[in-house]
Amino acid sequence: MGTREDEYDYLFKVVLIGDSGVGKSSLLSRFTRNEFNLESKSTIGVEFATRSIEVDGKTIKAQIWDTAGQERYRAITSAYYRGAVGALLVYDIAKHLSYENVERWLRELRDHADQNILIMLVGNKSDLRHLRSIPTEEAKAFAEKNGLSFIETSALDSTNVEPAFQNILTEIYRIVSQKQMREPPEGDVIRPDAEPADVRPAADSVRKQCCQ
Amino acid sequence: MNGRNDVFGVSVLEFYLASVLENINLATSNDSETRPTPVEEDLWSLWGRIVINWDSECRRRRHFIRDLVRQGVPHHFRGMVWQLLAGAKASDKLYSSYIKEKSACEKMIRRDIARTYPEHEFFKKKDGLGQESLFNVMKAYSLHDREVGYCQGSGFIVGLLLMQMPEEEAFAVLVTIMQQHRMRDMFKPSMAELGLCMFQLENLVQEFLPELHYHFQSQSFATSIYASSWFLTLFTTTLSLPLACRIMDVFLSEGFEVVFKVALALLTLGKEELLSLDMENILKYLQKELPAKADANQDEFMKLVFSITVNQKKMKKLEKEYTVIKTKEQSDIAVLRCLREENRLLKQRVELQEKECSALAERLVKGQVDRAEGEEETYALEKEVQALRRANMDAQQRLAVAQDEIRSLEMTIAEKNSRQSSLEGVEKNNAKEDELARCLQRELVRARLHAAEREAAERELLERITLLENENKSLRKQRVDNNVAHLQDELIAVKLREAEANLSLKELGQRVSELSDAWKRHLQEHQQVIPPPSPVHSKVVLDIMATPKRLLRAWEGRSAETQKLEEELMSTKIREVEALTELKELRLKVMELEAQVQVSTNQLKRQDEETRLLRDSLDAALQRERALQVRQKEFQHKYSDLESKAKYDSMQANIRNMEDAQRIAELETEVSEYKMKNVMMVTEGELRINADDSERVREMQEQIAELRAEIMRLEAWKARALGRTQISRAVSLEDDLEEDDKLKLILRRESTASLDLVRKTT
Repeated sequence: MGTREDEYDYLFKVVLIGDSGVGKSSLLSRFTRNEFNLESKSTIGVEFATRSIEVDGKTIKAQIWDTAGQERYRAITSAYYRGAVGALLVYDIAKHLSYENVERWLRELRDHADQNILIMLVGNKSDLRHLRSIPTEEAKAFAEKNGLSFIETSALDSTNVEPAFQNILTEIYRIVSQKQMREPPEGDVIRPDAEPADVRPAADSVRKQCCQ
Repeated sequence: MNGRNDVFGVSVLEFYLASVLENINLATSNDSETRPTPVEEDLWSLWGRIVINWDSECRRRRHFIRDLVRQGVPHHFRGMVWQLLAGAKASDKLYSSYIKEKSACEKMIRRDIARTYPEHEFFKKKDGLGQESLFNVMKAYSLHDREVGYCQGSGFIVGLLLMQMPEEEAFAVLVTIMQQHRMRDMFKPSMAELGLCMFQLENLVQEFLPELHYHFQSQSFATSIYASSWFLTLFTTTLSLPLACRIMDVFLSEGFEVVFKVALALLTLGKEELLSLDMENILKYLQKELPAKADANQDEFMKLVFSITVNQKKMKKLEKEYTVIKTKEQSDIAVLRCLREENRLLKQRVELQEKECSALAERLVKGQVDRAEGEEETYALEKEVQALRRANMDAQQRLAVAQDEIRSLEMTIAEKNSRQSSLEGVEKNNAKEDELARCLQRELVRARLHAAEREAAERELLERITLLENENKSLRKQRVDNNVAHLQDELIAVKLREAEANLSLKELGQRVSELSDAWKRHLQEHQQVIPPPSPVHSKVVLDIMATPKRLLRAWEGRSAETQKLEEELMSTKIREVEALTELKELRLKVMELEAQVQVSTNQLKRQDEETRLLRDSLDAALQRERALQVRQKEFQHKYSDLESKAKYDSMQANIRNMEDAQRIAELETEVSEYKMKNVMMVTEGELRINADDSERVREMQEQIAELRAEIMRLEAWKARALGRTQISRAVSLEDDLEEDDKLKLILRRESTASLDLVRKTT
């Protein structure tokens, strides 16, 4: 509590979603701890981790929520979409089904997440070149059609993991700061050194700033 | 727990027991370090006996066994004891049939196999025995319970079981765990039971650890974030395996309640630290440090677990509350969904209506604007029409005037023409006028000729005057004209003549006086010498002048010669005077003639002037006529233009008026339509507000009531269905509780006795 890590200008909640086994937890551990564990347990329920990055000299704290991918877990995990300003929708470039299910996940977000949530389509496991079943162009076209940003990553060799999170967080920051410029914030801005109690209001305010 | 007293189960147990004992013997003989301590050996033999006589032991000393289990089942007995505790019944045929079948969940299961206990030796090897048996059990269960199928998390429980027993037995125990211990509900696709557990745990935390509860709340650290995996995997993913096994011991022995106890114990253990952490660190602490802390002193931790008592009644109450909340939530969600849908539809309708309305309003405004414009236009047109009418009137007046003029002109032309010939056209008129002018010119020429002739005549006259001086009188007579001028001239001439005559008279008088003077002188001369003049002479002289008698006497007295000479002189002198008078008269005549010439020249001049004036007036008249004709033409053109313009304007105005009238009529109909629509909308709105909504709400309420009734009915039915088993269980439990104390005593006595026995034997 009150550690140096708690000092931030913005706190953005981002959710990791996608089919089971596409590498959500691996992306999270790669981004937040720069670790990759081949022998990782499947995620039961939800988990989260945080990491702060700098954008335009501002400290942005990303609170990334990792969710269980199995469909029945959606009943629980959808509750965690609330307040999220960004979502990384992950699929496995070697598993076509996980790509096919992207639409269902989009629907899920539409139903439970905020209207203005920024969504990034992430094709993970790009290191499995010989097993690829979804061409990059196809996914890119799909992302464009649905207004998503797109990137291919590999949590294993850490390709594009950093840019993926950086991009979405920067984009969120741009929107939020523009919004703030347009409508000067009142009392509910996220302040550095804020009490941890404000995490929720902060998230809410961010959400507000994003969606209104 | 109730063991199943069938032949199959017993035979399996015997097999296990034998193997376990064998292991123990091996251990004692080979390895001095793993040799059981005396207490352990006592425990093992105790467990051996209990396992062998499970049913009777169970019946006889339930609480003793429970306490024994709480102390931890020895590792070697675990597989067997778990089966016994679970009352599992392994079925060869069923399991082997499942193994052969294909499951829809296979892919999903495969995906998680490598991710279940990835660090554990037994499951580490890809496609090794551990992973294979794990897959088989999971697949078998997914086929056995198709409703649940495969759920992430269950693999960890299966894995824990497989660490203690073979596939088949593990499957059997899994089935009982699922069916008898709430776990099945936990893993159902809706995962509703998990929600209930979270609700119950949250309430328990609030009850037992209020500070922590508020801290979690302040951090918005929901129970489900940390406790989901506890309940779904029975702490196997959180705590160390030995601790997880001990929890499984108690779980199988005492039931699901243990999970709550362990959860509360964990939170109690880490309470102080947790209270000082923020959300992120709470999660980290719960995942890493707290399990280590619990693991460090397992017995203490388990004591902590057992020290916690969970009020079953309270749990039931919470369950009821939760179901109420859930059903309310669900109904709310349903209602919300309905309302949302309705709202969406209404919004669409509103949007449509707004669009329509705005379109209509736009049309209305446009129509009004058009109308206003039309009115303005009509007003302008009316004004224009009035102006045009006025102009028309003016034009008509002017036209009338022009026509009058034309008529007068025509008349004049006709007059003019009638003089010559019948009028055929303006050009002919012009020609005729030209002719007239020519005539006039001819007349003028004639007049000039006359004048010239007159001049010639005058010249002739002058010649005649000069030539014929004698014919003065006749000329004078000719000269007498009627003209006053003539008379005046004559008067002047006469006066001149008179003056001249007077002058000549004076001269004559002078001559006479001169002559008389000369005569006197002559007489004076002759008196002295010559006698007075002869009487003859005096007689002549007497006729002319009243000479005194003396002159006559003198004259008579003269000599005849002188008299004769004197008479001759006198006669010549008289002739001279006569000639002089005649000259004078002629002079007078010349003057007269001169005057006459002057008069005639004057007359000529006057005539010239007159002709000039006439010509001028003629020219002016012609010009005026021409201008008038031009103007007439212009007027005619203008009139025809104006007439056509007026006609066109009036036509257009009429058309516009008609159009406006039509437009106004249309607008009026539109307005009436709007009014109708408005009324309709208002009434509709009222209806919707008053009747519709209330009706709908009533309908919904009725529906909700019906649904609730149905739910109640279903619940009742379910309760009845479940109740049969639970009631029987409860009844037996209550009975058991009464017997508890007695049994406890017996158990203790027996245990001491048995321990004594063991000691004695050793």
